[in-house]
Amino acid sequence: MSYLDVIDTLQSVADGVLFGATYSLLGIGFTLVFGVMHKINLSYAAASIGAAYASLIVLSVVKAPAIFIFLLAGLAGGIIGFMIYVVCFRFIPQANPLATLMSTVGALLLIDEIIVHATVGIPVPYPALFSDVIVNAGPFTLRGDLMFMFALGCLSMLLLLVLLYRTKLGIATRAVAQQPVAAQLCGISIPRINGLTFVITGVVGGIAGAMIGAAIGVLSPLLSLPLTTKGLIVTVIGGLGSIPGAIIAGLLVGGFENLFQYFRGVTERDLYVMLLLFGFLVFRPGGIFSPAAGRD
Amino acid sequence: MEAMLEIADVVTAYGKIEALKGVSLSAAKGRITCLLGPNGAGKTTLMMSIAGALKPRQGSIRLEGSELVGLSPARIVGNGVALVPENRLVFPQMSVRENLLAGAYQRNDSGEVTADIERMYARFPRLKERREQLAGTLSGGEQQMLAVARALMSRPRLLLMDEPSLGLAPIVVKEIFGIIAELNREGVTIFLVEQNAHLALQVAHHFYLMEQGRVTFSGNPGELAEDEVIKRAYLGTRRSAG
Repeated sequence: MSYLDVIDTLQSVADGVLFGATYSLLGIGFTLVFGVMHKINLSYAAASIGAAYASLIVLSVVKAPAIFIFLLAGLAGGIIGFMIYVVCFRFIPQANPLATLMSTVGALLLIDEIIVHATVGIPVPYPALFSDVIVNAGPFTLRGDLMFMFALGCLSMLLLLVLLYRTKLGIATRAVAQQPVAAQLCGISIPRINGLTFVITGVVGGIAGAMIGAAIGVLSPLLSLPLTTKGLIVTVIGGLGSIPGAIIAGLLVGGFENLFQYFRGVTERDLYVMLLLFGFLVFRPGGIFSPAAGRD
Repeated sequence: MEAMLEIADVVTAYGKIEALKGVSLSAAKGRITCLLGPNGAGKTTLMMSIAGALKPRQGSIRLEGSELVGLSPARIVGNGVALVPENRLVFPQMSVRENLLAGAYQRNDSGEVTADIERMYARFPRLKERREQLAGTLSGGEQQMLAVARALMSRPRLLLMDEPSLGLAPIVVKEIFGIIAELNREGVTIFLVEQNAHLALQVAHHFYLMEQGRVTFSGNPGELAEDEVIKRAYLGTRRSAG
């Protein structure tokens, strides 16, 4: 392998890791809902893309700097998240694990159909920020748009961790996740915390959706299924219910994916991501951070 | 004696099976009332019904005259009832301090909450030593103390305790019962479910026996010979159907 090959390999891994921040955010969304409710919300990635579309609609009506698109997408994501909670979870029997799985698959298809009908299935351009900025670091070039995305992703994760570990709402959320009966006895309203979890993950998802749109440059309804798969893979590799796990697994999958795209081309890329998942399922089925068991 | 808690004809069912078949009892204000009975008598079901985690099918549960049936568990905590649940149920991945903060979830006086946490540390020095440790790593006795402290953080008028001695070493059980008596001296009304009839009869002012979803005896300690209480509390008098 020549010097240039090594540089190119490292370059594609670095790009992948930067893009992986979006996978981390999606993984956090899946994992947080699972942690609190022990349910998978399959409509999450579709809702995130939907929120990015919604931010475009708002931006076409109101003139605002492009940076607001991330805020708008987050806001739209929060609203969509709450709607999904009310429609797919609030009044659906929780005892049957398949019930909410089916209702969220329904929401996924519904969101996809709405997007397809509204856009006649044609991809819509999405504004990228700092796409003209390129930083040269030695032999490497770092894309400005990817670095901005990465920074925004890290900021979102930091704010989320502060919310979960430094606020009263965070204590209540973790209490419901760890011991719902006791949380109830402490006077914490479980439906309220569940609803808020959907709003919070919705905001994170909306930001992730906008970041994906900005990185690829277009939004398309075809994004939602692959992103659902990626989000679930990240969640499993990270360890179901673990937020640090989702963050690390997101970056790992991003880097891994780009590495194999570089070596084997885009057609074989996802094959290797699945192989990575397979490896984890066989050798470390609990994920990177499987939740530690308590004493009782 | 003024009643803190009055329970009348409460029926709670799991599906078609009635675990409580019309329970009536009361707990006097400022006293320790104890409920004894064998496994499966419905003691925990009654506790969960008072706390609102289970919904009674009929009957009334009144706290100083105001009805609790139909309120959400959160509203019942707001009304001044706290339950120390069976098996403690601490939040295992949260620190001792965070567990106490969770207990004070409904309070908005953060300065007073901090002062109350210090008071809990003074009462339970072991919790102070372990305040930043995850609750899941504590011993059973420490977890029980944490569960009691967590319940006290809501400043309850009525403290419900479901088998605080369960699975603990005798010396720790003694400590827990010392704390129960101490809390009561400070004015907290306590309604206690216990399997350890011997200890329960030492602290209780009044006690009830419950068998198969019904109250079968009500009296003061001493009214019934202790060995008779123990026999009925552990074995029950009726032959079970199964």
